[in-house]
Amino acid sequence: MPLRFLLGIGLAMLFANSAEAFTAYVSNEKSNTVSKIDTDSWKVTKTIKVGQRPRGIAYTKDQKYVLVACGDDDTIQLIDTQTDAVAGSLPSGPDPEFFTAGPDGKLLYVANENDNTVTIIDIQRRALIGAVQVGVEPEGMVMSPDGKILINTSETTNMAHFIDPVKREVVASVLVDQRPRFAAFTPDGTELWVSAEVGGTVSVVDPVKHVVEHRIEFAIPGMRSDAIQPVGININRDGKLAFVALGPANHVAVIDIKTHKVLKYLLVGQRVWHMEFTPDEKYLLTTNGLSNDVSVIDVAGLKVVNTVQVGELPWGVTISDH
Amino acid sequence: MLSKAFVLDRAVVNCAGFLLAFYAALLSPVRADPRYPDWPCMQPKVPELSAAAMWSGPSIADVGNSWQDDSKVRELVEMIAARRTPLDSAQKAIADFMTGSPAEKERKAKLVFAGVFDTLGDQRREVMEGLERVSRKETDLAEKIKSDVANLRELQDKPDADQSEVKNLASEIEWSTRVFEDRRKTIRYVCEVPSTIEQRVFALARSIQQNLP
Repeated sequence: MPLRFLLGIGLAMLFANSAEAFTAYVSNEKSNTVSKIDTDSWKVTKTIKVGQRPRGIAYTKDQKYVLVACGDDDTIQLIDTQTDAVAGSLPSGPDPEFFTAGPDGKLLYVANENDNTVTIIDIQRRALIGAVQVGVEPEGMVMSPDGKILINTSETTNMAHFIDPVKREVVASVLVDQRPRFAAFTPDGTELWVSAEVGGTVSVVDPVKHVVEHRIEFAIPGMRSDAIQPVGININRDGKLAFVALGPANHVAVIDIKTHKVLKYLLVGQRVWHMEFTPDEKYLLTTNGLSNDVSVIDVAGLKVVNTVQVGELPWGVTISDH
Repeated sequence: MLSKAFVLDRAVVNCAGFLLAFYAALLSPVRADPRYPDWPCMQPKVPELSAAAMWSGPSIADVGNSWQDDSKVRELVEMIAARRTPLDSAQKAIADFMTGSPAEKERKAKLVFAGVFDTLGDQRREVMEGLERVSRKETDLAEKIKSDVANLRELQDKPDADQSEVKNLASEIEWSTRVFEDRRKTIRYVCEVPSTIEQRVFALARSIQQNLP
């Protein structure tokens, strides 16, 4: 058999079997660091010192930076993804916790927990350009898939606010259950899911009618209901499955989006908070604040396949798109 | 010209007033859980550990106290539950113990987890009860300081006030305030302990499950 042919087969097999390695960055709220994880070896390859109380974390659209909200420093730091060093900061307003970017990646919308505002930042100019007054203790931030509506949840007012990002004003507010934490749209934009940490539910909101259409409740055999505290929500690209982090219940609920029924509960680490898919949606990473680790869920098999120890009180996770 | 004693007494009154206001802020409605009015910690109170929150192995519902009847299990539980035992030593001890057929491993896993869950659950409960006991004492002390401050103010406003009485009451307030503040710092430190215990139970549970077939 020709050598060139055998070589070609060998190379094809090599590429077929090798896992695609992405990079995950995890914010560690208590140790004031960010852990960098290689998703092929599942090892922490670097621990980056950042500002105080890092929580919200996300890649910029161009993948050049990882933004980290450092709440106690009242700033959002930029980690250069080439050097893994802090390369600058954005003025964020007081106590930034969570943020989301506009569809073109130019503007950042930041929830300022102590100030009851959503602050708007021009990322390139590194300048504050506006603010929207919202309810008490804003946290969850998400942009609708069409980029026309920005959602912010306010923890104490128990609202999901609908904000027109052009007019920079609240156009509607929907009362959800107690202490809403996070919001996520289905990929087609027809449903807005809002988790309520104390209420113990996820409200499914019609984003046009501004009404709660369904309430998803959770029940794990042998567990007190008040230990089930939904926080992060991740919905896969085909809009079939939603994953909800249940906080001190230490489980992630897997939900069929069509029926709104829970299919399975997966035991992960302690105080599971936020999650992120790898770009191929092969894995879902969860941050577990009390066990100080990240769980790796095999999405197709719906099982936990790995655990990676990170810093203290891991809060958020962001993953490269290549 | 105000006397030095008068100025110092006023300083004591102002300091006590500030601390009381600060403590009242700590117990503000934003953070307090009305279900547990004596719970002094920022961390929400989770009254009991839940086995379902950390164990997906075989059910321990039928174990009860039977883990105590097996001396080897009892010794292992005592060693791995102790917070002075480093976690990696505990994990090794678990791995060394979890030998035998799949059925035997399952039997051992249930007994060891039940033992760890009971032992550390009891410790956690004691710590939490202690926190609430101290919190009630702090509330009582805050009320006493408040009452003494009001009395001292009243005394100081009297032109013919007995100065030794004023001095004694000022000293009493200063002492109570110091006790209040020291106890508050201790409470903040001890509030971390229930979570620390829970972390240990989870880590041990995970270690036991990792040794199941």
